[in-house]
Order: sequence, then structure tokens, then C-alpha cells
Amino acid sequence: MSEEEVIKAISENFGELVVESKVLRPKKVSITVKPEGLVSIATFLRDSLGFDHPLGAGAIDYPAENKIQMVYYIWSMNRRMLIMLRADTPRDNPRLPTLSSVWDQMNLHEREAWEMFGIVFEGHPRLEHLLLPEDWEEGVYPLRKDYKLPER
Amino acid sequence: MLIDERCIVMAELPIPIPIPLPEWVVEFIALNWETLLKIIIIPGLAFILLFELVAVWFERKFLADAMLRIGPLYCGRVAGWLQLIADALKLTVKELFAPKGAHKVLFYAVPVFAPTIPALAVVLIPFGPDWILFRAGGAGLLLFFALTSLIPVLTILAGWASNNKYTIIGALRSAYLYIAAEMPLFIAAAGVVILAGTFDLVEIVELQSKMWFAIPQFIGFITFFIAMLGASERVPFDIPVAEQELVLGWRTEYTGIAFGLLMTVEYACLLAWSLLFITLYLGGYQGPPILGPGTASGIFWMLVKLGIVVAIAIFLRVVFPRYRIDQALRLGWRYLIPLALLNIFLTLAMKPYMLALLK
Amino acid sequence: MVVSEAKEIMRISWGPQHPMSGQFRFILETDGENVYEIIPDFGFTHRGIEKILEYRTFVQGIVPFERLAMVDAANVGLAYVRAIEDAAGIEVPKRAQYIRTILCEISRINSHLYAIGLAAEAAGGYPAIFLWTTADRELFLDLAEMLTGARWSYAFFIPGGVRADIPEGFKERALKVLSYFEKRLIAYRDSWLENEIWLTRSRGVGRLSAEDAIKLGAAGPSLRGSGVELDMRKEEKYEAYEELNFKVAVQKEGDCQARFMVRFLEMIESTKIIRQALENLPPGPFKKPVPPKLPKGEGFARVETARGEMDVHVILDGSDKPYRVKVCAPSFRNLYVISKLPKLTKILVADVPVVIWSFDPWYLDADR
Repeated sequence: MSEEEVIKAISENFGELVVESKVLRPKKVSITVKPEGLVSIATFLRDSLGFDHPLGAGAIDYPAENKIQMVYYIWSMNRRMLIMLRADTPRDNPRLPTLSSVWDQMNLHEREAWEMFGIVFEGHPRLEHLLLPEDWEEGVYPLRKDYKLPER
Repeated sequence: MLIDERCIVMAELPIPIPIPLPEWVVEFIALNWETLLKIIIIPGLAFILLFELVAVWFERKFLADAMLRIGPLYCGRVAGWLQLIADALKLTVKELFAPKGAHKVLFYAVPVFAPTIPALAVVLIPFGPDWILFRAGGAGLLLFFALTSLIPVLTILAGWASNNKYTIIGALRSAYLYIAAEMPLFIAAAGVVILAGTFDLVEIVELQSKMWFAIPQFIGFITFFIAMLGASERVPFDIPVAEQELVLGWRTEYTGIAFGLLMTVEYACLLAWSLLFITLYLGGYQGPPILGPGTASGIFWMLVKLGIVVAIAIFLRVVFPRYRIDQALRLGWRYLIPLALLNIFLTLAMKPYMLALLK
Repeated sequence: MVVSEAKEIMRISWGPQHPMSGQFRFILETDGENVYEIIPDFGFTHRGIEKILEYRTFVQGIVPFERLAMVDAANVGLAYVRAIEDAAGIEVPKRAQYIRTILCEISRINSHLYAIGLAAEAAGGYPAIFLWTTADRELFLDLAEMLTGARWSYAFFIPGGVRADIPEGFKERALKVLSYFEKRLIAYRDSWLENEIWLTRSRGVGRLSAEDAIKLGAAGPSLRGSGVELDMRKEEKYEAYEELNFKVAVQKEGDCQARFMVRFLEMIESTKIIRQALENLPPGPFKKPVPPKLPKGEGFARVETARGEMDVHVILDGSDKPYRVKVCAPSFRNLYVISKLPKLTKILVADVPVVIWSFDPWYLDADR
């Protein structure tokens, strides 16, 4: 199945939940979905399309567009293809459903995204500090653009 | 010149001592000079301490050479031979304390007794037909085993007296390992006793004048050597030392000179077991049968053989990583004990032929 | 693992104040014999590299990026550089590709030797191997110094190529080092990989099946040791790997010995790659001028570092600094796999160092 066919399979099944999809590079597909459809599309990717090898997840802060985008990177062993599953969430109240039930490793990545960006993952078993110390200030999210590094 | 009785007594001494001593001391020395020599020099205190020094130095240099480095270099102008003394001096000036809640008497008693017990076992080993510190006669071998069996008791006491949950686990593991190693030792030695017909160490050595027991008792020879490494906790069996995340097992809470004394336990055990090994299997103080009797003194042969056995033990340290505790116990119980028992059966079955070989 | 009897479960903290854990903390839940859970405690070496990179220009940013995994600096630095080139559409000249390949493979050998040495030391109390690998690494560190001027923090790759050309005498020296090293590999195999006692410690220990490795997201030799053939050098075909002839080292068993074998075989393949690259070095420029400000876009690069696959996702906003750099680190995933291992297979307390070092996590790149 080529990249276009993968995109077609997803949009056929999920229609308006898919906001944007494109082939980024050969063997790399990027789709942006609405937060409501995240879990169902992720389950579809894992079970029907064979995206079984999770690589990681991170977020990107776009203060100009008032959104935070969460990106999940998953690789398919059979198809030898990478997919970037993205979801946008508003910056003032970022909430997303958790994908740790779909790919277990996302447990850790979502904890990191929460502590760095402030995205609350609903349904996450243990949303605690991962890399930052336990006594880090509440409400201060280092990787957001409004956190300025104290440069010399 | 005034000739008085003290001069006459002094003249009887083999070596003239120029210091004026009270009469009873001089008489004591003159009558017992041989025993005193045995106690102080060889196979007594000086021998044991010098052995530690040389063995540790050799081990450090040998390991260093195998690992492409140099080892002790500066202490003592030639190849760092004074390094151990420097380390011991450093340890003496360190603070000596016991953890809170530890049983102080036992805690400090163990480093005193632990190196002395294997050293005590050394007194039973003959270094020559008359050169033996304690002639135990028909109880020699048994007494040796009785003394060395006290070692795990001390280990457990040390671990318990440290008032630390982890040291007691380490001590118990050390005890398991020792028991698994001791059984094959007893059974292999029993093979020698059956062949020799006596427990007396001097007689066992005398019976090896034509052929060392290593040859008729070949299986026991190998078993004893492997189990000996286990009993003195040498690599590949130095499990209690480093295995756990518990730093140093039962020795964890010791500092200063107590720690230094405990570090010598390993070498004292190795010394005691190696000497027994040489006595039982390698002909003791006699030279190789080919050379015939009287080529060189018994002490010389003992030292040569001791050097070879200890060098092999140190060599094994370089080439092997260490076992896991359950693997070491499995080795002892499942392989070494049946081998030692096989040795006994063979000895019982082939005793007349073996005796013919020895004549 | 079902705890059938009411045994007292202790929580032992393995590290960070521990001789062999590195700058990391594992909390082991054990009853003294079996390990029921390994809980990794991240964050001791978190330096916020992803944030720092947003404040550095592209060339400046390579230096902090390499600190993610210094022992393997070339491969890691390559990931960032390739992501930027991917975002801006920069083509690298052929000669630069070959030079990059050579340095990457030298770095890979360095890293594997380090991992093997520490594994032998930590797991088996076998310091001889540790010191041998340290001595052999010196040769490769000197080679790298001849090429880049630094022993192991190269910062040699820049967007558009490499900083300098191969110096005089490098090829002869490299060939001499490689032929000596191939003999040393035989010594390692005989005294370490096939050492009977080492085999009892590492064979059959910490078995990871292929499905679990894929599902949990293991990376690098940990994945290939379980029989899964995935190597970015063959998948992405970056730099000169497409034109060079080498095999991917895969072992089926999935235990610790298999993972160590994979590293050992990879070192052999690396020597082959370096030889071929030196023979077939094409002439031409070794770098291309790149403007300081790059147009908007996003780039994604996947590089096979010694520890596994590192993905870098770079988003550019038209200035001379990246907007966001996201790093998917291999050791992060491997640490996750380690934490799941007691549920999959039986692990004793004495196996913990062997298992951890067979996955070879580099804590700095897990924490970023």
C-alpha cells in the first residue's frame, strides 16, 4: 500500500475527523485529526493498517495561532512507513484524550508533553512529572514559547 | 673478664643475643627456640603476614598486566611492593565506628577472629617431617575442618551485628555458598583418608613419597580445587562480595582497620585451603618423587607448591567473570558433590590397585 | 508475575549513588531474589536541550545537540544536521557524504566498545574486558582526532557538508588501525563472548520476544537482538550507505547474549564499511555554502545511532534559529522496555545489571 492509499483508507473511514493529510516525504505520511477522533483513528491505524511500532510523541506550541499541536510518530513494520498523527488543541485549555491504551509507550511521552506544555490527557493513568523535579512550580510549562530561558 | 652464669647461658643460644635479658627469658628462649621459630617465622606469624603481602602484590601486578595497565608502581621503589603496607597504614588512621544500633562487642570481635581462625588452621599443616606447630596426630584433618567450619558462623555474626537488613542477606548468602562448597571438600578429603587409612596429616604426606595422591584421586583433586575457590570466596565465586546492590555483603559496615583485617580473611582462607590442598594431593613437604628424598628442605617445596597453587587461583581471577549465587550453588550441590561421591566409590573399589601404585 | 506467597517486597533504589548505574535511578521491587518491577526514574540529567536549541543558530545548535549522547556524537549530530537539510532541501556533495559515513562508523565502534566494556565490568566483575576496550578505543579516538580535531565531541557536521577534508595520512593510519582491531575482535570473542561463565550469566536471561519488542518500541540492538530486522541505514539509505556493501546484524534469541552478539557483529560490519568508504572516496567539494536563514518548512530525519534509531523533527520559521526541535530518543524507548521486562520474563536481582547493560541505555539521551 502506498502512502496515498493509506491516506485514502483513513479518510474513507473517518471522513470529517481528518482535518489535513499529506505525504511529507517518501514513506512519511502526516495526518492532522480532530481531538475527538484521535482514539478511534489511532486504533484503526494500529489494528487495520499495521502501525505497531511507536517511536515517540511530542508537542509544538503555536502561540500566534493560539494552538498547541501534539504529534505522535508511529512506524509500521510491514508497510515500512512512518505516520505522524497530529491533533490541535486550543492553547488556553489544552485537553486531549490519551493514547496510552492504544500504544503503551505513549504513557511516558504524554507525561512529558503534559509537564512541558500543559496538555491534560484525559484518561491517563498517571499524569506526573517525568523529567522535571517533583517540586517544579505549578502552571509553568518550560517548552511553551512564553517561557523565556534566562540567557546570560 | 668476669664470667658469670648469665654469660654461660647466653653462650648456649644458637645466636648470641647482645641485649641483656632476665635469666628466665633467656632460658625459655634457649630451650624452646625451635618452637618459637615455628610460631614467629614459619609457618607462623611472619609467614602468614608475608604471604598476604606477597599474594596481594602479585595479584595486583598480575591483574594489572593482564588488563594492560601497570598496578602499584611508586610505593617501594621496585614495582610498588610496599603498597599493601601503605594501604594498611592508611586504614589504621581512619575513623573506626560501628553503625547505630549495632551489637558493638560482636561487631568488633569478628574482624579480630575472622583472620585468625584460618591462620589457626595453618598450624596443623606439616612443613617438614618434624616441622609442624601442632602435631595433632590422628585428629589432624578433622581438626582442620572443624576450625574452618567456624568461618560461616563469623560471617553471619558480622552480618547480623551490623544492624542492617541488607548485610544479613549478604551474610546468609555467603553462608549458603560456603556450605555448598564445604560439602565437596569434606567428601573429596574423605577419599584421601580412605586411601591413606589415617587422618594424620604427616602420615598422609609420608604415604605420598612414591606418588602424589593427585593421580589415583584425580576426580577428588579437581573437585577439591574448585570447591576450595568457593570456600575462600575467590572469583568466580566472589558472589557475596559484589553481587548485590548491597555494596560489600557482610563486610559493608566496616571501616578503618576492621575493614583491613576483613580483607585479609580472603587471603588467609586461600592460604589455609591451599596448604591443605598441597598436603592432601600434591605431596606436602616432599619433593617430586622423581627427584628422590632429601633434595631440598620441606619448607622450600611447600613454598614452591604454594606459589604455584596460589598463582593458578589468581590467574583464574583474571579470566573469569563471576557466577550468580544460584548457579554457584547448583554447581556445588549438583555437580561437585556427586563427583566427590564418585571419587569415593572409585577409591573403595580400586583401593588395592591404588595402594600398589603408591608402594 | 504473580506473587503466590506473602513475601516481603523491598524497594531497592538502584542508583544514582551506585557504582554501576550511571546517572539514573531504577527502583527495584524485589523480595531479595526475584524482581517484580523495575521502575525507571527519569530526569536526573534533564538539561532542556530541546528548548536550548530554539535559542541557537543552526550551526551553534550542533554542539548542544551532540551532548545528547557524547559517546556516539557523530551519529547523533548527524540526525540534527540531516533534519535541517531535509527541511531546507539542501543536497550534500558526495565526498561529504562519504566522510560523514566514515566518522559515523568510527563513532559507532567507539560506542559499542564502551558499552561492551561496561557490561563486562558491571555485570560480571570482569574488569579485564573493560580495560581492553578502553585501550582499543584510544586508537579510534586518535583517528577521530586526526580527522576532526576532537576526540569525541566532534561538531564536525554542518548543514551542507563537513567542516574539513580528510587530512594526509589518515587513510593509511585508518587501515592500520582496522587490521589491528580485527585481530582484537577475535580476542574479544574468545575471552568474553564465548567465555563459559559469561554465557551462563547472559544466555537465556532477559528474553524479549519479537512481538513485544515491536509493540513496546525497543530500539537498535535491542530490537535486532530479538530477530526484528530494522536498521535505519538500510531503511533511509542516507549518506553513503546506499552505495556500500554491508549486512544488518540480527539475532533471533532475544536474550542478553543475543543483544551483545548484535553489537559485536555490528562492529565487524563497521570495519567493513570504513574500509569500503576509504577505498571509494569520490573527489569533489566537502561542503556547500548554506545561507544562515532558512525558509519555512519542516524536516524529519531518522538516523541509526549506536543505541538505536533517533528521529529528529525540525520546524523552521524562516529565521536563523529553529522554531521547534523534537527528538525521539532511542534510550527513552529502551528504558521503557526495561521497565516492562519483569512482567514478561523472570529476572533475578543478580540479573539486573546484565539486563540493563545489554539494552545499553544512555541516560542523557533519554532525559534530553
